Parts: sequence; C-alpha cells; structure tokens
Amino acid sequence: MEVKEYFYERVMVVDDTQIDRYIAKHIMNKIYYAKEISEFDLALSALDYLKLNAENIEVLPQLIFLDIRMPLMDGFQFMQEFNLLPDTVLVNCKVVMLSTSLDSGDHARAQSEPLIQMFLNKPLNKQSLIEVYQLLCQKELKKV
Amino acid sequence: MDVNYRVVKNNMKADLLDEKNENMPIAAFLKMIKERSDRLMNYFLLSFFIIGIALGYFYDTYLIALGVGGACLLAYYSAKILFPESTLYQFIASANLGIFTAQLIYQMHGLFEMHFIAFIGSAILITYQNWKLQLPLAVVIIIHHSIFGYLQFSGVPHVYFSQQEFMDVQTFIIHVFLALTIFFICGLWAYQFKKHSEQHIEMSFEIGRLQIAEQQKEQLLKVNSELDKFVYSVSHDLRAPLRSLMGIVEITADQTEELPVINHLQMMKESIARMDGFILDILDYSRNARSEFKKEEIDFPELLTEVIHHVKYAGSTNDPSEIKIFVEGKNTFISDRSRITIIMNNLISNAIRYQNTALNNQFVKINVVLSKKDATICVSDNGIGIPKELQNKIFDMFYRVNGNSVGSGLGLYIVKEAVEKLKGTIKVNSKPGEGSEFLVNIPNVEII
Repeated sequence: MEVKEYFYERVMVVDDTQIDRYIAKHIMNKIYYAKEISEFDLALSALDYLKLNAENIEVLPQLIFLDIRMPLMDGFQFMQEFNLLPDTVLVNCKVVMLSTSLDSGDHARAQSEPLIQMFLNKPLNKQSLIEVYQLLCQKELKKV
Repeated sequence: MDVNYRVVKNNMKADLLDEKNENMPIAAFLKMIKERSDRLMNYFLLSFFIIGIALGYFYDTYLIALGVGGACLLAYYSAKILFPESTLYQFIASANLGIFTAQLIYQMHGLFEMHFIAFIGSAILITYQNWKLQLPLAVVIIIHHSIFGYLQFSGVPHVYFSQQEFMDVQTFIIHVFLALTIFFICGLWAYQFKKHSEQHIEMSFEIGRLQIAEQQKEQLLKVNSELDKFVYSVSHDLRAPLRSLMGIVEITADQTEELPVINHLQMMKESIARMDGFILDILDYSRNARSEFKKEEIDFPELLTEVIHHVKYAGSTNDPSEIKIFVEGKNTFISDRSRITIIMNNLISNAIRYQNTALNNQFVKINVVLSKKDATICVSDNGIGIPKELQNKIFDMFYRVNGNSVGSGLGLYIVKEAVEKLKGTIKVNSKPGEGSEFLVNIPNVEII
C-alpha cells in the first residue's frame, strides 16, 4: 500500500447539517486533507471533547471547521467557551468558520475574534481547503 | 414598509393627533368653563332677585324688586335661549349685575355699603375667564352713578344714591376710580387665568404628543429589528440547503467523466446559483428599504476588491479577461457602505454576466472620481449592450431583458432604490454590440 501525504493529521467538523459534514468529509478524503476527521453535530459535544482531551495533544484536532448557525449553541457561543479552554487547545487547534451567512455583522464578528483564522462560505471545496492550509502555514512562518 | 405603516395606523392614540383635532383639548376646556360658569350664574342671578324681594321689606320696594329684577332675568334667559352659541347672554349677565347693584342701592335708599355689591358682581364675572365681561358692568355702574348722583344732589325727590347729603367731585372721582380699579383687576385675573389654563393644556398636550411619538418610534424600532432578524433567518434557512445541494453537485461532477452528466450537473449548478442570487437580491432589497443611513468612510479600492472577490465567488460562468479599477481623488468620502456595496455588487456582476462572448478582449472598467462634493462612479464594459428602447425599463422591478437572462430582475431595481436612498443619480449609456456604461453619482454626506 502506498503511504499518503496528508495535509493534517486530525481535523474536526462542527456542523448540525449532516449533508454538510458529509461534503466536508468527502472532499477532505478525496484530496487526503486529514488522516482522521471527527464530526460533531452539536457545538457542546465538540467542546466537551476538547475539554476532555485538553492535555492530550496527540488527540486534539489541528483544525476545526465551525458552522455559525446551529441549535442550542451557535458558532459564536462556541467561541466564547473555546476562548476559556487551556492554552494547549488554543495553541494547537485553529478555528475556521464555515457558513452560508453573508451577513456583514457575522463577518465583522468573525474578524473581531482573534482565534478565528478564516471565514469560508459553504459549500466547502478543494480550493478553499488548500487556501486554508496555505494561510495557516504563512501565519505559522510569520510567528517563527 | 407595509408593516410599519399598519402599526402607525393601528395606534388608536395616534388618531387623536389628527390635524383637525389639534385644538380639541382647548375647545373642550373652554366649553367646560362656560358650562360651569353658566350654572353658577343661574344661582347668582336668582339670589340677587330673591335678595331684592327680601329687601322690599325695608322701604316697601317689592314692586321695583319684581319689576327690575324680573326684567333682568327675562333679558338674560331670552338671550341665552335665543342665542345659546353667542356670548351675548354673558354680557347681559354682566350688565344685569350692574343693574342689580343699582336696584339694591335704591331699595336701601342709598345705604353706602350696598355699593360693594358692584365688587361682588365684578368678582363673580371672573368665572368666565373673559376680561371683556367686566365692561358692561363698569359702564352700567358709571352711568348709574353719574345719573343718580346728579339727580339726587340736584334735589330731585325719591332718587336714592347715597345717604350723604352731598358728595363733592373729589370724593366722587375717588369712588369711581376705586370701582374701576376693582373691575380692572378682576378683568386682569380673568385674562390671566385663561392664558395660564391654555398654556397648561398646550403643555400637557405637547408632553402627551411627545410620549406617543416616542412610543411609536420604539415600536417601529422593534418591528424593524424583528423584521431584520426574520429576513436574516429566512434568507439563511433558504440558502443553507441550497449551498448543501451545491456541494453535493460539485462532488458528483468531480466523480464522473460522462459528458451529458457533467452538462446536466452544470445546469443544476446554474439553477442553484440563480436561486441563491434571487434570495440574496431579496435580502438586499429588504435591507435597502428599511435600514437606516449609516455614515461611514468609504475606502473604494478596498470595497471594490471585496466586491470583485465576492462576485467571482458567486460562480459567474463568464470570467472577463480583465477587471480594471481606477480611483482618482484623495478626498475622504462618507456615505452608507452597505448600500454602496449593493450598488457596486449589482453593476459589476451585471457587467461580467453580460459579456460579449465573441470577443477575446472582454473587459470591465470601474472608474471612481472622488471630490469634496461627491463620488462619480462609472462601470463600463464591452459587453452585449442594451437596446435603446429598453434602457428606461431596465430599472423596473422584475424586468428582465430576455428569457435567457439569469438574473432575478431585481438587481438594477435595487440599485436604483439604493442610489435614491443615498440621494444620488444613475444614468445608463449603451449600444448593442459595443458595451454599456453605468454612471452613478453619490453625494459626499460629509459636506451636507
């Protein structure tokens, strides 16, 4: 068996719409974007997962695709809680917003959240996945 | 817009504010004063009449009391019944009070204290809050004093004005002067009471009006923000499944090599994009119609770059070989960013959408000239152009040039509406086959 080069080891998708999670997973698998993809239909359970594994860097996702409009807890509420998580999570897990929203208020809000790396419009496609990777790499380089 | 209108109309309190009802509270107040005073006047005039009869006891003047008093009451009530809307009967009442004074002085054979009755009459008249009512009383008293004083001191018998043997001119003048002073002061109070009441009513009415206006404003703001949330939610909820569908279509297109299938999927994509565009247009329309003018500095190069990025993302099938942006002028330009974005978005996506596919040097040129006064924006292309006879129709709601056009028929209508909200102008120059040019002029609100 050929050993594939993956962009990321672990990616998390937080979205209440099953089809959108399927699309994300399908495209990522197609281009070998992530070795492991974890799906959460509730922002709250995603948070619980991150809390539980806060000290376990080998399990934490490197990238989180976060929807905005979800029942019970929306993307921005998720970010409020996320900001309170231990540094291990904040440093290792990069958040990218993925939404249908064209509301300028949502865009502005996403931009004002320092931990949101990018704002993507649905549907997810290959180009935008690669753009995310390139942007995060650039940011990483700037830090060094 | 409709909803706002209905809210205003439904507000029962607002009906009270109709123009024609403007002076209603003051009129109602005056009517109340009149009714109250009329009631009191019945008692006063009747009392004078009865007192007159009672005083008949002293010098046997029953006949005079009945005759003069009866005539007074008759005159008063006839005027009141014949001309209830006129103030005539009030003036007659005033004169009556003077005549009663004279009658009672006479009945007591000039008893000096009876002169005070004139002051009682004057005080009674304040109730109408009309200073003019003091005049008949004053006139009657002056005439009475002059005539009766003159007659008594000339020695005419059975004329009773004063118990003094003689009243010199100086005393008479002081007497008249004091009486006039009382009438003047009572007239002044009547005038001031009325003024004060009117001001008070106007003021409380004004306060009420402001409160209602404030309530309406709050209600409108609430309705507006609810509508905003509603439009936002609906447009999002309509678009979310569409974007999912788009994702699935893209995945499927990626998985097949069969040309018919790829073509069909491409058609699906176009349909989805069209519906998506329609929803976005409705969202823009609703926002433009309701949202308030938000002043903001406009950075045209940045705004245009963003718009072009967005237009490209929106999945237009045509990709022009060139989009050129020129921004001239360094003036700070202040206007409503969201509306300018709507305008530019529609003009640029139209320019891209209606390219002339026969050409290979397709271009879209955006030229912005900023001045202290305004911004002149020109979006031009070498696309298919618009026939002369259709040029004044393209800004109509739901107008589409032909069945093949992919838009909602709302785009340019929204552009026109947004330009109007910004108090600007829009013009189109176009020749079929050569291209189109949209000229937009928007005032710089910093100056206004």
